[in-house]
Amino acid sequence: MNYLTRLVASTALATSFAGAAMAMDLTIAQTSAVNTLDPHASASVNLDLSVLSHIYPTLILRAPNQELTPSLATSWEAVDDLTWKFTLTEGATFANGEPLDAETVAWNIARVTNPEQKMRISSWFAQIDGVNILSPTEFEIKTKAPFPALPAQLSMFMLLPPKWASENDPVTSTLSGFKYSLTENVPGDHITLEPNQDYWGETPAQFDSVTFRVIPETASRIAALMAGEVDLISSVPASEIARINESGSAKAGAVDSTRSIFIKYNTEKTPLDNKKFRQALNYAVDKELIADALFGGLANPSKCQVLSPNYFGYNDDLTAYPYDPEMAKKLLAESGVDLSQTFEFELPSNRYLQGEEVVQAVAQMLGDVGVKTNIITMEFGAYLDKYRKAGDLGQLSLLGQAWPTIDADGLLTLFKPGNQYSYWNDTGFDEQLVIGATTTDVAVREAAYKKATEIMCDEAPVLFLYAQPATYGVSTKVDYTPRGDDWMRAFDMTPAQ
Amino acid sequence: MKHFLTDLYRSKAGLVGAVLIMVIVLVSLLAPVLDLPDPTRGDLRARLVGPTWTGLFTPGAHPLGTDEVGRDILSRLINGSRITLLVATTAVVLGGIVGTILGILAGYKGGLVDRILMRLVDIQLAVPLMLLALLVVAALGPSLRNVVLVLALTSWIRYARIIRAQVLSLREREFVQSAHAIGASTLRIMFLHILPNVLTPALVVGTLELARVIIMDSALSFLGLGVQPPTPSWGRMLADGRVYISSAWWAVTFPGLAIVLTVLSVNLFGDWLRDYFDPKTRSAK
Repeated sequence: MNYLTRLVASTALATSFAGAAMAMDLTIAQTSAVNTLDPHASASVNLDLSVLSHIYPTLILRAPNQELTPSLATSWEAVDDLTWKFTLTEGATFANGEPLDAETVAWNIARVTNPEQKMRISSWFAQIDGVNILSPTEFEIKTKAPFPALPAQLSMFMLLPPKWASENDPVTSTLSGFKYSLTENVPGDHITLEPNQDYWGETPAQFDSVTFRVIPETASRIAALMAGEVDLISSVPASEIARINESGSAKAGAVDSTRSIFIKYNTEKTPLDNKKFRQALNYAVDKELIADALFGGLANPSKCQVLSPNYFGYNDDLTAYPYDPEMAKKLLAESGVDLSQTFEFELPSNRYLQGEEVVQAVAQMLGDVGVKTNIITMEFGAYLDKYRKAGDLGQLSLLGQAWPTIDADGLLTLFKPGNQYSYWNDTGFDEQLVIGATTTDVAVREAAYKKATEIMCDEAPVLFLYAQPATYGVSTKVDYTPRGDDWMRAFDMTPAQ
Repeated sequence: MKHFLTDLYRSKAGLVGAVLIMVIVLVSLLAPVLDLPDPTRGDLRARLVGPTWTGLFTPGAHPLGTDEVGRDILSRLINGSRITLLVATTAVVLGGIVGTILGILAGYKGGLVDRILMRLVDIQLAVPLMLLALLVVAALGPSLRNVVLVLALTSWIRYARIIRAQVLSLREREFVQSAHAIGASTLRIMFLHILPNVLTPALVVGTLELARVIIMDSALSFLGLGVQPPTPSWGRMLADGRVYISSAWWAVTFPGLAIVLTVLSVNLFGDWLRDYFDPKTRSAK
């Protein structure tokens, strides 16, 4: 065993030296500026967390193929339904010498779960009861209820150095404990990272420097990639992929993402409380046509559920509402809804890939069956305020949701009665979610989510559309494994051989 | 009137502007009878189709191509011009009425009224107009009515300033003095004696304002705060098409050209109009 570990380590070292010989500067384009440098104060994976994941260590990392891989934690296991045990890498430290041990992890968990701190990501860990430190490299996390998604959730949880954090403000400054350290931060323009010389892991940084540049304009991002100014971009409109590939200086493509795009109904407003009406709208929209025409076939129409096939709990037996305008008209007539009214249709701008086009296409199809809509464009921030704070979502709105743990417990919880995101109240659905969330028995969970998705399909609290393709463009100077979640990381890339 | 036309004919720039404006207005007025495809309905299967110049004469073809949801760009441009012109002229007229009344009031009454009104103008001039427009539309919500109101709000101050200056010199003139002497009421003097004499400068300001307001209306729609889709508007077409600028140039080029040509022609005409009514430049000719 010992020999094997050493062999693996030396091979890893050898490959990393090979990489170092080809070292280069890497530039990643982001769609907007980083909001905060505190990894516990942000939930936006594609922005803040992507940058910070180069600087701060996580216990577990999610690989591009969506598997959970060891990082600071070398192994983990569920001891019983309410206990998870973790073993840490020995001798890991931050750049200032602070140890990365069980104490540090416990302090960080206490920091996010402390209700007085009001950390942005506190709800991810609401089920944690406490941490038992067994030795400097071993600890247990106790949970109030079974929490099968804990390791997946921890892959988004970065660790701050406790002593440094008490003397510095983590919102504006950083201290490296992982592969890179921050050397330059020009807010709104770029962030530059350079390799952390004191990194404790076995595969050091692959690039001489990593720069995150803010380029909000899609056309400018594509132009920058083709001109060789940046090496990785995301959110490429489907029709531009072929053009990038033809250029020869970059490759583009798409992978299935975990983000489901749908039209959210506010079932608390009439007539969206009418089930027949909700179903009728589902029949009225040609999902296949949207996926084919707008996304060049890269998007997959949802199978009557918000889960995409890579989620735990995905129900393979469901089929999408077919495109059937006659059926839609029939149901509309049966529903008794007065169609002379105009429905509010909210569109958060510049948020979802080609969202503006999708909304106009959907509005036109709804218009074809006699449902008149009034599109209201708004900033995503303003939309979120309406959605989350004011609790006053429009009757219809475009929304895309994903859950980073890729588990039905999480994504479906956004529709659970009582959840501020829900706008739908179904007791049968609620019961199944409670069963699914409170056991670690895989078969029981699967059965519960199967029933939950069936209820959701029939009740139609949303107009199911498609899973958004994760489109990307990458320079031919690097090798990159595309991923379906939002992480944009230098360590998913290597200089091209 | 005859002199007006011969002078316009002699000024090449003014003539070009006037002809272009007439063409644009005529086309937008005739839009309903032109048998254009529905500007709000697209065919997703025919999105981002390039311009086919012969399409003008073949029904169902798209002479200027289609946009990102397959709508005919020519039809959207023409129908968009109706909305742009409607918004801009209403805003300018509304701003003009308010600005002229307040300008006359400030200039003729003087004293406290003048000081309050002019400080109000100063305050508003201290705030960037675009920022003000953004704030108001964001607060009230985007709609045709709100856009008109906010554009009128940014427009009245220019009228007020210029009209007030005119009135200051007018009120010392003999015809105002005599009207005052025979006991005409203040209101009567302001609106029967002074108003007709400030209409010309108001008209010149109005034309120049029109160009500015068209640009601002486009900017608001570009930012998503103007009229809402699928109703066509030039600024919005520009915003939605810019993603495809390198693969479908027609989606941005034509709305951009429409804005440039309209604003240019209004400015050319406005400049000529100003010179025409300016006694100094007129006597120089």
